[in-house]
Amino acid sequence: MSSERDARAGEPLHAALSDVTVRFGGQVAVDALSLHFEPGQVHAIIGENGAGKSTAVNVLFGLVAPDEGEVRIDGMARRFRSPHAAIQAGLGMVHQHFTLVEDMSVLENVVLCAEPDAGAGLVDFQAARAVLDRLAAEHGIMVEADARVRDLPFGARQNVEIVKALYRDARLLVLDEPTAVLTPRESEALFAMLRRLRDAGRTIVLITHKLDEVLAISDRVSVLRKGRLISSRRLDAGATVEDSAAGGRAGLRDVLAREIVGGDLPAPLRRAERAPGEIVLRAQAVRRREGAMTVGPLDLTLRGGEILAVAGVAGNGQGALVRALVGLDRQASPGPDASRGRIELAGVDVASVDVAGRRALGLCYVPEDRRHTGLALDASVAENASVARLDAPPLVRGPFLVRRAMRAFAAGLIERYRIAARGPRARAGTLSGGNQQKLVVARELELGGVVTIAENPTWGVDIGAIAAVHRELMAMRDDGRAILLVSSELDEVLALADRTLVMSGGHFVAEFARGEATRESLGRAMTGGAASARGSDVVGGLAA
Amino acid sequence: MKAAGSGLDKGLGPVVRTIAAWSGVALPLALIGWGLIALAGAPLGEAIDGFLRGAFGGRRNAYLLTTLSRAGLIIGMAMAAWLSFRAGLFNIGGEGQLVLGGLSAALVAIHAPGPAPVAIALAFAAGMAAGAAWAMLAGVLELAAGVPLLIGSLLLNYPASFFASWVVGHPFRDVASGLPQTVLLPAERWLPNFSGTRLDVGVAFIAVVTVLVIVYGATTTHGLRARLNGQAPAFARASGLAVRRLSLQTLAASGALAGFVGALAVLGLHHRYSDGMLVQPLYAWTGIVAVLLVGLVPWAVPLAGFFFAALATGAAGMERTAAVPREIALILQACVILFVAGRTARSVPGARRDDPGS
Repeated sequence: MSSERDARAGEPLHAALSDVTVRFGGQVAVDALSLHFEPGQVHAIIGENGAGKSTAVNVLFGLVAPDEGEVRIDGMARRFRSPHAAIQAGLGMVHQHFTLVEDMSVLENVVLCAEPDAGAGLVDFQAARAVLDRLAAEHGIMVEADARVRDLPFGARQNVEIVKALYRDARLLVLDEPTAVLTPRESEALFAMLRRLRDAGRTIVLITHKLDEVLAISDRVSVLRKGRLISSRRLDAGATVEDSAAGGRAGLRDVLAREIVGGDLPAPLRRAERAPGEIVLRAQAVRRREGAMTVGPLDLTLRGGEILAVAGVAGNGQGALVRALVGLDRQASPGPDASRGRIELAGVDVASVDVAGRRALGLCYVPEDRRHTGLALDASVAENASVARLDAPPLVRGPFLVRRAMRAFAAGLIERYRIAARGPRARAGTLSGGNQQKLVVARELELGGVVTIAENPTWGVDIGAIAAVHRELMAMRDDGRAILLVSSELDEVLALADRTLVMSGGHFVAEFARGEATRESLGRAMTGGAASARGSDVVGGLAA
Repeated sequence: MKAAGSGLDKGLGPVVRTIAAWSGVALPLALIGWGLIALAGAPLGEAIDGFLRGAFGGRRNAYLLTTLSRAGLIIGMAMAAWLSFRAGLFNIGGEGQLVLGGLSAALVAIHAPGPAPVAIALAFAAGMAAGAAWAMLAGVLELAAGVPLLIGSLLLNYPASFFASWVVGHPFRDVASGLPQTVLLPAERWLPNFSGTRLDVGVAFIAVVTVLVIVYGATTTHGLRARLNGQAPAFARASGLAVRRLSLQTLAASGALAGFVGALAVLGLHHRYSDGMLVQPLYAWTGIVAVLLVGLVPWAVPLAGFFFAALATGAAGMERTAAVPREIALILQACVILFVAGRTARSVPGARRDDPGS
């Protein structure tokens, strides 16, 4: 397309932000930040939500114009007017939320907007396929050109995103939280690929909040806090880090964690010894459909004073299970239906009970998607905090809201749960991700129900907020309330669960008591189903 | 781009935003208006003079009163639209609800027995019931048959209009007048005028209703719940709000208000129902545009309604005195709609931008 791209294809690319400052309104999002991205390096940028990581990358891509400072590509100051211009200059971005067209094939997605011209407005898919095959072979990336993206697991979709960037000759590749939806095994494969790309001289920028990943793969790690660069250190070619005693590595991990939060690390969780109480939630042979997958039959029991974790990689039927338990899928088929199984909440069969009714029975729900399901971002903090308490005084009087009481209630939550908000009148959308999540958790916990369903309650939340959420969940458990924790984070499951059910392919495939579960055993169970399926494919292939 | 744009919004209150929006719309519109007047070959000063007199002047303020009367109906329809839009319900069937409300009110006011106050009350009740029923029909179509409200409510405008045309063209036609319209209401069943003027008290009704609707939205539990349902439907469901009931109730209220406006036009302004009298002035559509123009900011809706009313009556004045065709007002109004279209995505629930990321 452009001569610029052809001329520099494959050459190493030096990118730098120099003294960049970005202000949104009165707030400084990025403060005099200078970062240099060198070719042949994996450069990790870590920091809490709102530390300015995404803004920094958006400046690099020209999505946000810096108020001060400049972007330098190969030593020249550049200002990209559009993502397209940034791509032309050799930058590539893999977003946290994939940007693929699900109903198109891998090949079609890869060439989209960079189609090789076969003349007469036709696309030269032959040529595209050849390039794709070459890239796949060169970098050891497995992609099926003709598969429909909809049918691919998340790990494979990530590969498609990466190949798509490489197809556009991205010499600098930014990955934003790339392992958020991957299995441990898929993450390993991703890192192996990133290492190969790095060794081939490309520049890799990794935005993440997982310190283990940073230590495993980065050549350089930069810590941002409140828009400022706190530290930027080279992790020497694996030598000191990999070979040194575990203590040294853990030491660095602690140093980084402290730099991220800008203070002392939260105290470790403490768990009171207590015997499980009464059964408060029971599911028997619950069956649902989620897309093409049959979920269930699922059985579980949950007792007071217990945290039961449902662990699994995202998209293995947890969503359908949660919707069934909360009552969000009731509208599709009202009334009892034997084939859908039976759910008992606090001893009541809830087949014909709606969300409001289940909440009245003592169900609390911390949804995974805080931005759409957990909160109304355009409503105020006070309104969000009060939503489940508007049936009776003191927050309402007759048909009218008592705004003052709503604000006072929200102010109480803000104080007790240490939510960083301008106040009860602030729009919920102005809170950072972690504080939004704290607000949801605070609201639901404050309801004091007997069963709390917490769905990835720390997804995309920073270290301080994770600790706060975990502390609250544990306090509830110690208080005798029951918690169903649906999580894809192994560390979270290991830290909190009294019992763990592993979900894969729509079924519970394993159960672990506390103490039995380890990272390895959980990880194996989570990917076990998928791995055996792939294994049988290979066998079939060999037989043929 | 997204982050930069939302950054600019920070710190600007709704008041400043609204003022900024108004001036951003007004300047280009003034240029377009000037160009069109020049094209029509009229002296600009004379045209503006004619416009202002036509909108706000007249002997004993006659034209101002016309503007007010028209503004009342537009503002009523705007508040009806506002009720729905803020709840995430794209009820653009205000016209059908208005027509059926006006028709029902006219028939009841003409034929109901009893003393005038009772008949007038019955006429209002009938108009509101008809509007509410028609709005709820669109809602039921969505909930039961999956017809999107946007489409269902729009398409229901046509049967309503055609049915009304048939009713006043055939069974209830005032044959002597030779036009498709009902007979006049008995004079004692007309709404009174403000003393010494030709302005009926309907405007006062609208003022009261507008205040009530704004108070409803700001202070009641139902109002908050409906708004939350519009802003974040998934949130509303997960929070246990009765979203179907909320939606139907809100639609009913919106339709009832449209029917009320229809009844006002019949009882106060026209004193009969004649074919097209509520459709041709575009009350419902102008109301929708007025709401979108001010980005659903409730207190600004009356200002926008008054602006559009003045635009129409002023254009008529301009035509009388400076021979500038009144279609220019329609062109200007269309331009306003185009400006609005660029802003709609940010002000209507369900079609809004995301918040800034980290």
